[in-house]
Amino acid sequence: MTSSRSASSGTEAGLAPPLDLAALTVRPTRRPGFWLAGGVCLAALILVVYILVTNDRFRWPVVFEFLFDPRILAGLGLTLFLTLCCMIGSFLLGTVLAVMDSSHNPFIRGMAQTYLWVFRGTPVLVQLLLWFNLGALFPVIGIPGTVFAWSANALISPLSAAIIGLTLNESAYMAEIIRSGLNSVDAGQREAAQALGMRGTLSFRRVVLPQAMRVIVPPTGNETISMLKYTSLVSVIALPELLYSAQLIASKNFQIIPMLLVATIWYLATTSVLSILQRRIEIRFGRGVARTAAQAKPTRARTA
Amino acid sequence: MSVTPIIEAHGIRKTFGTHEVLKGIDFELQPGEVVCIIGPSGSGKSTFLRCLNHLEQPTRGLVRVGDEVMGYARKGTELRTIPERDVARQRTKIGMVFQRFHLFGHMTVEENIIEAPIRVSGVSKDEARARCDELLARVGLFDRKNAYPAQLSGGQQQRVAIARALALRPEVMLFDEPTSALDPELVGEVLAVMRDLASESGMSMVVVTHEIGFAREVGSRVIFMDDGQIVEQGPSEQVLAAPSHERTRAFLSRIL
Repeated sequence: MTSSRSASSGTEAGLAPPLDLAALTVRPTRRPGFWLAGGVCLAALILVVYILVTNDRFRWPVVFEFLFDPRILAGLGLTLFLTLCCMIGSFLLGTVLAVMDSSHNPFIRGMAQTYLWVFRGTPVLVQLLLWFNLGALFPVIGIPGTVFAWSANALISPLSAAIIGLTLNESAYMAEIIRSGLNSVDAGQREAAQALGMRGTLSFRRVVLPQAMRVIVPPTGNETISMLKYTSLVSVIALPELLYSAQLIASKNFQIIPMLLVATIWYLATTSVLSILQRRIEIRFGRGVARTAAQAKPTRARTA
Repeated sequence: MSVTPIIEAHGIRKTFGTHEVLKGIDFELQPGEVVCIIGPSGSGKSTFLRCLNHLEQPTRGLVRVGDEVMGYARKGTELRTIPERDVARQRTKIGMVFQRFHLFGHMTVEENIIEAPIRVSGVSKDEARARCDELLARVGLFDRKNAYPAQLSGGQQQRVAIARALALRPEVMLFDEPTSALDPELVGEVLAVMRDLASESGMSMVVVTHEIGFAREVGSRVIFMDDGQIVEQGPSEQVLAAPSHERTRAFLSRIL
């Protein structure tokens, strides 16, 4: 088509008559599909709200009565505490595992890989139950016959079992995230640090890790949000975090759905806050990357 | 040649797997001398440069910088290997500039320059900042102190990298193809800084380069390397204008 036209170029038939551009007007294209889809979405939203409001089995008055119940708030506090503890712990342990996994020593590397294999290969629920019942396996922890020996039942409370179980499990996932972050940093950065006389640990802490954070932070944010939800699993070992607190109340007042809704509302609220925090932290660690540098430190960049 | 050389390398060999990259190199650098190493890619010039500050550990051979043998502690006539953190301390005497700059991307220009003096040499923050100002003025980037590397051109980044290496007051500077990653119009500004460093400060320098003009003008000596060996060396004008080896002639005719 095109070739035949170019071949016949010069013939007047191929040329459009001249246009008077000034006389033309521009009209936006009509987009009926856009409004149709919008209408469907709106209808769906109205339907959901209608169901939520009219089905009185949701018992909204009960939900709002217990939303700020001290027991619920205490449960929420424990959920947040668990999330924070376990994420900090697993970040530290994950970093150690990531460094071990990139070691030159095959034994150290093997140890890290075995850890990942075991802790990623088994359900966290099973791990939690195992830690909680550790006393059945090792009645005494420490060196028997010395003062460094404690009864496992005294050491392993629901809280410590929850922290140990969730942290050890999460560390395996964090290790993978941190390892990919460390790998993303150009080897030249470490070399430049070495050439400036920086020791391995110093260059890791000051040069490599901060730059790896840009890659580490987004998935860590996701892991934190997952962790917040995974803490609900520890209700199986009777630790009164948010879900178990709600269930405890429900077992007395038999308002099962309203109490689950209370927990749901709090989970949704806290994960929303975490998502916003994650955005902020991502900008902070994007420092030095051209796209975000100006946003990250506007005042200092401008004085330059 | 009555002065003690500031760097002395003896019988440097380096093997990667089964491939011998350096086949026994002897080298001396006199104080204030600027030695340019030229040669085809893969001839081992960069590897040799990296052996000098032990970024690459030679498979065989020893390097002395100042009064220390790199990577070893001397006990009488015996040498004992030392841990990485002590090698790191030895490296503070040797500044190095890389082909691809390797500025720390998450730090501003100033932070890049004051990092090692503060953390490695234990210089006070005020003193490190004052030294940074002085160095930035010297490389003509005083006004970009708070910029991040990604906001600078390649030439500017390389000048900052030079300032960063100088911040530790090294006795020797190593340059690994410092202008090879630059757009042609930015090469001049980096060479100007290096020229100034050689003439004004009398810095001892080893420069791996493809800039024959720079080698001719600033280099006191030129070394031509090929296939892991020094083929020929001598005063710049002699090696560059009237090379005595066929391989040197062939190389020079290819790149000029």
